[in-house]
Amino acid sequence: MTFRLGLAGPLAMLRAEMADMLQYRVVVFLYALWGFIHPIVYMAVWSAVAGEGDVGGLRQSDFTAYYLTFMIVSHLTVAIEIYTFGPMIQYGRLSPHLLRPMHPVWVAAARNLSYKAVAVLLLIPIWTALFLVLRPEFGATPASIALFMLSLAGAVLLSFLAGTGFALLAFWTTRSGSSWEIWMGLTFLLGGQVAPVELLPGVMGQLAAALPMRYTLGFPIEVLLNRLPPGEVALGLALQAGWVAAAAVIVALVWRAGIRHYEAVGA
Amino acid sequence: MPPDIRVHGLVKHYVVPERGAGLRASLRSVWRRRRRLVRAVDGISFEVAPGEIVGFLGPNGAGKTTSLKVLSGLLHPTHGRVDVLGFTPWDRRADFLARITLIMGQRQQLFWDLPAGDSFQVNKAVFGIDDAVFRRTVGLLTELLELDGLLTKPVRQLSLGERMKVELAAGLLHGPRVLFLDEPTIGLDVTMQQRIRAFVARYNAETGATVLLTSHYMADVKALAQRVIVIDRGRLLYDGALHGLAERYAPHKTITVHLEQPVDPAELRGLGEIVSQEGAQVTVRTRKDEAPAVTGQLLARLPVADLSVEDPPLEEVIEQVFRGNRT
Repeated sequence: MTFRLGLAGPLAMLRAEMADMLQYRVVVFLYALWGFIHPIVYMAVWSAVAGEGDVGGLRQSDFTAYYLTFMIVSHLTVAIEIYTFGPMIQYGRLSPHLLRPMHPVWVAAARNLSYKAVAVLLLIPIWTALFLVLRPEFGATPASIALFMLSLAGAVLLSFLAGTGFALLAFWTTRSGSSWEIWMGLTFLLGGQVAPVELLPGVMGQLAAALPMRYTLGFPIEVLLNRLPPGEVALGLALQAGWVAAAAVIVALVWRAGIRHYEAVGA
Repeated sequence: MPPDIRVHGLVKHYVVPERGAGLRASLRSVWRRRRRLVRAVDGISFEVAPGEIVGFLGPNGAGKTTSLKVLSGLLHPTHGRVDVLGFTPWDRRADFLARITLIMGQRQQLFWDLPAGDSFQVNKAVFGIDDAVFRRTVGLLTELLELDGLLTKPVRQLSLGERMKVELAAGLLHGPRVLFLDEPTIGLDVTMQQRIRAFVARYNAETGATVLLTSHYMADVKALAQRVIVIDRGRLLYDGALHGLAERYAPHKTITVHLEQPVDPAELRGLGEIVSQEGAQVTVRTRKDEAPAVTGQLLARLPVADLSVEDPPLEEVIEQVFRGNRT
């Protein structure tokens, strides 16, 4: 299968998806706002646990900085493909896209980016207000900001590929969402969501360092907040790149197998 | 000139899960899932020449749409060879996709909440249509399909007929050489059906495009296709001229006579099956081989002002074809 190279098609799709997403700005905002609630809860709980002291070397102000960054990172790395691309496959809405000389994954990417772009515009004022009220100490440096941007790009890509990979299961099953819940559960535990990865004990910490979930969420935050020595940042970036490459290969293979399986159900 | 479409031994089978109604059947299916093989397309072969319009007919579930999906590259077949414009459709090469379109009456490619013009812009970019060509094509399609004012309204606010016209236009922006039209007039009123038909005929005449059309409206087929392919249960029943269908499958003719004045029903005895007698108009159905004799008797015995001998309506002939296949 070959598709035309060039970004004119994907960019036009992105513009149309942005326009479409703006039609649903209130719903988009409410979804995104819900994504802000979780980190506020985690922040409150860990701050209470830390009290005037610390937990594993993290003080109240560290948790505040961590979860304030988490709000932005988790929004930018959220994978929505299971709710957008999956149903397209399941209900046959993929067909019109298969008739165009552009890979349908671009449609999923355009929807992903437009959701984030529209919602982030609405979330920035809330985040700024929280920032001004909580006054966190980030401890970020120009180098950590640059590395953060790099790791964030990797996290966005990895989470998109993971979301797409699970969404592609809709070629075989009408319940691809259930398997995605397993990924989400692992991200909750090992991705730096319920607790920063550095607080995870023993085997859990080792698992978190090796599995891909941390590289879709917690890792960029740790990089920005200077919580990792240079060697671990380099190793983390290498592991993240490896997971991105592996995920890209898996998505390509699953797509190739799935498209042969795309059948009549509403197609 | 080689055919635009070549289909040889096309087979598409699906395996579908199956279970009875009720909780017991539901529980049983947890342990033992029953599956059924559906032979959607079961070994059909045909060719379509460049510029030809072919009606693809069959009852619901005959395999028409599945065939069109394979021909347009949406589905991989179970077996068989298909060649469209020299391409294997399911390879979905960009050059292939740029030369074909599949328009499905019940499916839409337009952004629902945006004006259709936005979807047109996406197609322009994706198909790499030049600005001048795009403007000219949109202008032409706007004129032919009367799209004025429709491209700036959100698609969800268009009527079904308006939406179908805009869908058709969106599917033709890139100037495809082969059109697969699946029920393009479904759900439309008579006027809109005629407009779409006239447009397809003109598009075919002006561009020389090849058209494979499915429709449940025989008027579509009669207006557009000289040739029909009839399939049922995935098998090809007939491939030939539209008028040949009645010759082969309709065993009788319908004779309609307008009399100078009404006659007593007794006078019609022995003139074949009287389908109706309303005032001075009588409709008689007779076996095809007896039609000349019956016509002669009608003219001799009755005060005939006008007489016509016709094949039965196409709908009836098609029904006859399917009935013949299923008995």
